[in-house]
Amino acid sequence: MTGEPKVYVVDDDRDLGGSVARLLCRQGFAAEPFLDPVMLLNAYVEAPASCIVTDVMMDDLDGFGFADRVRFLDPAVAIVFMTAWPTTANAVDAVRRHGGLDYLEKPIDEARLIAAVTEGVAWSSRRRRQLGRTAALTPREREVFDLLVLGHSNKAIAGILALSPKTVEDHRAAIMAKTGTSGLAQLIALASPG
Amino acid sequence: MSDYACTAKDQGARPRLKKWRPREFPCFNNGARPGNEGQMTSAFFPMRRSGKAESAARPAPGPLILMLYGLGFWLALSMAAYWGGEGYYSLWFPPAGLRLAFLWHFGPRATPAIMIVELLVNLGMGRFSLASPDRLIALWGIVRPVLAYGAIVGVIRWLSSGSRAGMMTPPMPFSLAAAAAPVFAALTALPEALWRPDRTQVTTLPDVITSLTAFAVGDLLGVLLIAPPLLWIAGTAGRGRKSLPSRLAPPSIAWTPVMEMAFLLGGAIVVTRLLTHIGLGFQPTPVILAVAWTGLRFGRLAAWISLAAVAWLLLPETADAISTTDRLERHLNLATIMVVGYLAGSYRDAQKQARAALERRDRLLFQAERLKTLRAMSVAVIHEISQPLSTLAIEARHLHAITDRSGQEIRESAALIDRKAAALSHLVRRLRRFGGRVVDEPSPLPVPALVESVVAIAAPEARSQGVALKVGPTDPDLVILGQEVELSQALMNLLRNAIQHSSDRAVELGSERRGGRAEITVLNRYEPEASHGMGMGVGILVAQAIVEAHGGHLTRTKGPDGVMLASIMLPLAGDCA
Repeated sequence: MTGEPKVYVVDDDRDLGGSVARLLCRQGFAAEPFLDPVMLLNAYVEAPASCIVTDVMMDDLDGFGFADRVRFLDPAVAIVFMTAWPTTANAVDAVRRHGGLDYLEKPIDEARLIAAVTEGVAWSSRRRRQLGRTAALTPREREVFDLLVLGHSNKAIAGILALSPKTVEDHRAAIMAKTGTSGLAQLIALASPG
Repeated sequence: MSDYACTAKDQGARPRLKKWRPREFPCFNNGARPGNEGQMTSAFFPMRRSGKAESAARPAPGPLILMLYGLGFWLALSMAAYWGGEGYYSLWFPPAGLRLAFLWHFGPRATPAIMIVELLVNLGMGRFSLASPDRLIALWGIVRPVLAYGAIVGVIRWLSSGSRAGMMTPPMPFSLAAAAAPVFAALTALPEALWRPDRTQVTTLPDVITSLTAFAVGDLLGVLLIAPPLLWIAGTAGRGRKSLPSRLAPPSIAWTPVMEMAFLLGGAIVVTRLLTHIGLGFQPTPVILAVAWTGLRFGRLAAWISLAAVAWLLLPETADAISTTDRLERHLNLATIMVVGYLAGSYRDAQKQARAALERRDRLLFQAERLKTLRAMSVAVIHEISQPLSTLAIEARHLHAITDRSGQEIRESAALIDRKAAALSHLVRRLRRFGGRVVDEPSPLPVPALVESVVAIAAPEARSQGVALKVGPTDPDLVILGQEVELSQALMNLLRNAIQHSSDRAVELGSERRGGRAEITVLNRYEPEASHGMGMGVGILVAQAIVEAHGGHLTRTKGPDGVMLASIMLPLAGDCA
């Protein structure tokens, strides 16, 4: 991930998608328009992005379904929705259930779009760093890590995973070393997506 | 609408300090409402006791009217004397018609006054004497039919009011009263006739039955001949002050129905006479068929004219030397003809009213459907516009930015395009908030805002119908949770109804906090006669559905003095969340 942060714009209106992408390019993002969300999904693993700006109402696959699938491929991508049919129910869903960063109403407020994408790119890189640090953990270490950030003590974790407290202690030291953290608070910060 | 203007201003500027108060209804908005909601006493809604419009709201009959009644009663009694027989007044009894017309017009509460007047007339005519040993039973004999009539009028008025009104389309209630009151009055005479046969000089049971039948027949004939025209005259005089002359002017006569009626009735009478002439006795069937036909085709007025003509021909024949049996038979036949003819006419009028109501309902439904389509269309248009407008606005902004250093002309053009595109975007976003989003979800809605937006629509409508729309003070802290468009529609329907049925050209709109809820009231005075069939229109049903969907109640109360109060109770915004 070097140079300008990559942003995809998905809209079944070719002109609008292109326009938004050019606008973002002018703001210093490497933005690229996509007409079809399925095509982007197919190509996504090869070239993941920091942020995706997507329309909600599209023909084959709507914005929410697309968001869920792309999030499965890449949990560290920020998603911003835009729509010409705004409803409060959709807005709440967009943020709560589909992990959207913002829900923009067409005609698009430029300042708000740029602010959302900037925030999304920052969030994405933060998230990627966190994930990168925990990526080196072994499956067992991962289990211990998940329980640790929930606030369980070593002894409790040993009970849950049917390990000796000493082993848990070892795993904990390994996790600290691999993620470069120096305490439980930092571990918890690493686990929280925000 | 100076009233409205004044209210709105007052409220905006200093809502708490000076509350404008409707002049004529001092207690309308001060919160001190009577405890019993169903009954609004006249103390709370004082009526103006002048002008013609108030007779529409069924006031008590004044002394002059009662004197007129006495005079009419005396005349009618004298008229009836020609057909009198052994032990009963008459075989056609016009006083009964006068009595029913009065009771129907002024309501059952006029019963005591009518009783006193009839008593005085009987005293004056020497038909009743305080000195006679039987004075108590004679008194009862005079009072009893009035009570019976009053009871029937009360019962039928009750049956045809409120939620039970659906089954009784005017003029059916009156026709039923006209048929039921004489029969009931005759039945109430039965105990007396059996207990004190000596008083009426009828001793045997057949004689009692004959006497009571004659009683019922006489009353029936009197009622059906006299009451309808009297009520028509009263209704015409009491209705509009705006076009009294035009209402009293004779309606333009359609000659084809008149010819048809005359031909039918004339033919029937000729056939009846012929049958009598060849020795088959008096056969009423042809005339019954003729009046039934007339009634079903042309309604009550035509039926009544035919019946009057028949009675005019038949009654004189039965006044002179003729045996009681023959007279009773003739009068029974006449009564049959009249009941059939009048009910047929009433049925046709009721059908016509029902059809008119149905057509109105269809029109409203059509309108509602069209509005729905229109709304869907406008949302679609907003969507379709917002899509290309997004592109346009972005590119215009960009163009504006990159032409900053170009020539002045290009720069100014680009700036203008950018400005216009931005303005248009703003407009579309605002439009959507109004038409699209608010329709979907309830939002906190101050009652004054709702009232103001509805009044803005209703005021011109009221003005065009010559109705003054008065808006009481509204409390800016009264906030409900709801969909503005729908609630406006509900309130608008109530206002429209009130404007249409206002008998004194005034409608009140008020709102207040009441028991932890918001109450919006629409108040008007109505004409009891006219408002019967129009009670539960589709507009009211729609309003009710909307209000109930908001967790509220819509109640409509008819006060005894002709005041209609529609009240919307809605939960306050805090309670809903």
